[in-house]
Amino acid sequence: MERKKTFIDDIDRGIYDIKNEFTYKYKAEKGLTPDIIIEISKEKNEPQWMTDFRLKSLEIYNSKPMPTWGADLSDLNLDEIITYIRPNADMKTRWEDVPEEIKDTFERLGLPQAERESLAGVGAQYDSEVVYHNIRQELVDQGVIYTDMETALRDYEDVIKEYFMKLVPPTDHKFAALHGAVWSGGSFVYVPEGVNVDIPLQSYFRLNAPGAGQFEHTLIIVEKGAFLHFIEGCSAPKYKVNNLHAGCVELYVKENARLRYSTIENWSKNMYNLNTKRCVVDKNGSIEWVSGSFGSRVSMLYPMSILRGEGAKSEFTGITFASKGQYLDTGTKVVHAAPYTTSTVNSKSISKDGGHAFYRGLLKVAPNAHNCKATISCESLMLDNDSKSDTLPIISLDNDNIDIGHEAKIGRISDEAIFYLMSRGISEEEAKAMIVRGFVEPITKELPLEYAVELNNLINIELEGSIG
Amino acid sequence: MVKWKRIGMDLTFPNVPKYTKDFINDMGQPLNIKIYEPSDDISPQGFLGLGNEFLEHIDNNYNSGFTLHVRRRDKIREPIRVEYIMNDENPTVVDKNIIKVDEDSEVTVIIDYKTISDTKAFHNGITKVYAKENSIVNIIKIQRMNESSFNFDSNVAIVEGRGKVNWISVELGSSISGANYTTFLDGEASEGYLSSIYFGDGNRKMDISYSMIHRGPRSISNIDTKGVLMNEARKVFRGNLDFKKGARRAKGNEEEYVILLDPKVKSDSIPGLFCEEDDVEGNHAASAGQLDKNKLFYLMSRGLSERDAKKLIVEASFRPIIDSIPSDELREEINLEVERRFANV
Repeated sequence: MERKKTFIDDIDRGIYDIKNEFTYKYKAEKGLTPDIIIEISKEKNEPQWMTDFRLKSLEIYNSKPMPTWGADLSDLNLDEIITYIRPNADMKTRWEDVPEEIKDTFERLGLPQAERESLAGVGAQYDSEVVYHNIRQELVDQGVIYTDMETALRDYEDVIKEYFMKLVPPTDHKFAALHGAVWSGGSFVYVPEGVNVDIPLQSYFRLNAPGAGQFEHTLIIVEKGAFLHFIEGCSAPKYKVNNLHAGCVELYVKENARLRYSTIENWSKNMYNLNTKRCVVDKNGSIEWVSGSFGSRVSMLYPMSILRGEGAKSEFTGITFASKGQYLDTGTKVVHAAPYTTSTVNSKSISKDGGHAFYRGLLKVAPNAHNCKATISCESLMLDNDSKSDTLPIISLDNDNIDIGHEAKIGRISDEAIFYLMSRGISEEEAKAMIVRGFVEPITKELPLEYAVELNNLINIELEGSIG
Repeated sequence: MVKWKRIGMDLTFPNVPKYTKDFINDMGQPLNIKIYEPSDDISPQGFLGLGNEFLEHIDNNYNSGFTLHVRRRDKIREPIRVEYIMNDENPTVVDKNIIKVDEDSEVTVIIDYKTISDTKAFHNGITKVYAKENSIVNIIKIQRMNESSFNFDSNVAIVEGRGKVNWISVELGSSISGANYTTFLDGEASEGYLSSIYFGDGNRKMDISYSMIHRGPRSISNIDTKGVLMNEARKVFRGNLDFKKGARRAKGNEEEYVILLDPKVKSDSIPGLFCEEDDVEGNHAASAGQLDKNKLFYLMSRGLSERDAKKLIVEASFRPIIDSIPSDELREEINLEVERRFANV
């Protein structure tokens, strides 16, 4: 007997796909030359050291070959990508002042509403520049800084100079070099010693222009004993030409500090998402990554935690949902560089409709990192037979006094589970949806509420009435 | 020249002199075994072994090997033993072994690589197993060359419907050792099993890779590896479960457990799970760490020295695999070898 297969439609991305007319104040030529870089730097009124930094990065970029592992990048023609687009708007601190069309976009994405209801500060980037940035007064009074990178470079030049691309140097890989050359926008957060930012801050990155690249830089410093929850959202409407996202996130978690960094990435399926995220954690500090990858045509994203202080901790919770035409190569890297450090990785992936989900991870324990503990758990669910799912966690241990565990599982929804639920009077569709929701539940409960609701809706839409 | 980055090896292939020792010990059985002669047998598609350089080196230089053909419905009860012994006169073995097992038949082959002097020996070989429908093939490979030798061993099996291949690999010797076992589970309900132990001490470097490639529906595989690393030993373990499209209801399982006994060891594990078919079950698990402190404490409270207690725990983890070797004499020799290694702790 031929068993019934689950059939699932492509997601109706609704609001994400509404595009605005492509208007701009200034646009760089396609491609990359020193002239274009100097032009961008001049347009942004940057200090000379930053211009030099960009030119140096461009040199490194040109000297490095395209990566040959992981995703097929042959369709990505960097000479066709517009690296800098200044939208028809300046940075504002009141939504009323943001041009109507751009404001409407963010309204549809629910950002101003979320700001009123559940966020302590919001940044909104449209193409290459931040158009809105605001933070509650009580946080400003406590010395918290939350602003766009351009303002930060003007107002806190010394701090930026000390930290900017020190954790992810342009020599790291080709796209880090590209980022160093053409970065624009992004957020800077500084939380002073002992300050507890109990309501999250959120930055939202929206790429509207076709054939463009977004290269925002996020730099967060959480001082001793402080706490911050930062949320990053990304989306773009779908175009026929390729877009590129090569952002860079650098996080510094000082002694006893804690940072929770949540990302919901819902890029359109013409996006190459080649992002670099890295965090360094000092003594007894902790980083918590929550990462949801749903969109993009190609993703290569491996947030990295460097546990350099004794007792530092990292926790990675990730979900990847690869659908038609998507190759999502995601995972995490953890480096135990000090004794008594602990790390936990919990990754789930779903692939369907020809989507290809790939978990790729690294766990490295340095020779001096004795008494450290690490667990990695990877689970994959395949919803049909056209899809692919791969898992490749690399574990590299350089000393003996450690405790490492790793587990991975792959499979489909079991007929027994469905049969059991159906015997309890639940329809087949609902049973399947229930099982998928149960599968992702450990992740959804880590997400901010509105995103958890969104993810559940996404699963419902995907499974609704399409099984049989 | 071949470079292996992970364990830090640069290799230049040595010249291959003649191998003159009589290496087949057929235990007096009237078997259809002959010294290998050139044939057009080619490696199966998709088989890389330890790498093209190694396979080409064998094709161009082999100096020993055998072909074993077990006819239909022939069940050979006694294990066949093959010994490649290396000494000053015969320091180099480049062997090409072919084992063809026809329908409904069964055979066990023990292949043993050992040195009997301090000579710096070199081994690079390939063993190919063709397991036809409903056959059972047990291959036991023992590598106990001295600590200045180099060992490279590529193994491949192609398993047809309801056929079964059991690999047992005992990796004890050599200064540098590379071992690859690839099993193509082509037939419906074909089965592939691999149990292995490795012991790394001194400055030993090991690169071990196992692949189970599921192509047949309802094929089953299991990889079970136990290892110990001490002193400054380095190893990389790669275990792949690869479910190709069409391997409906296949099941694969993989486990690696390594005990680390010294702070200067280096242990890399790269377990891969690749899947193009939704109706499969694949699991892999790896764990690494020191000996269980509670167990150690208990044994020491019973009067065992720390060294003896450690030895006992390691032996206990190796025991099920060593016990499955069908030769009293070999089991005894392997147990003694493990014991001897611990004497240096």
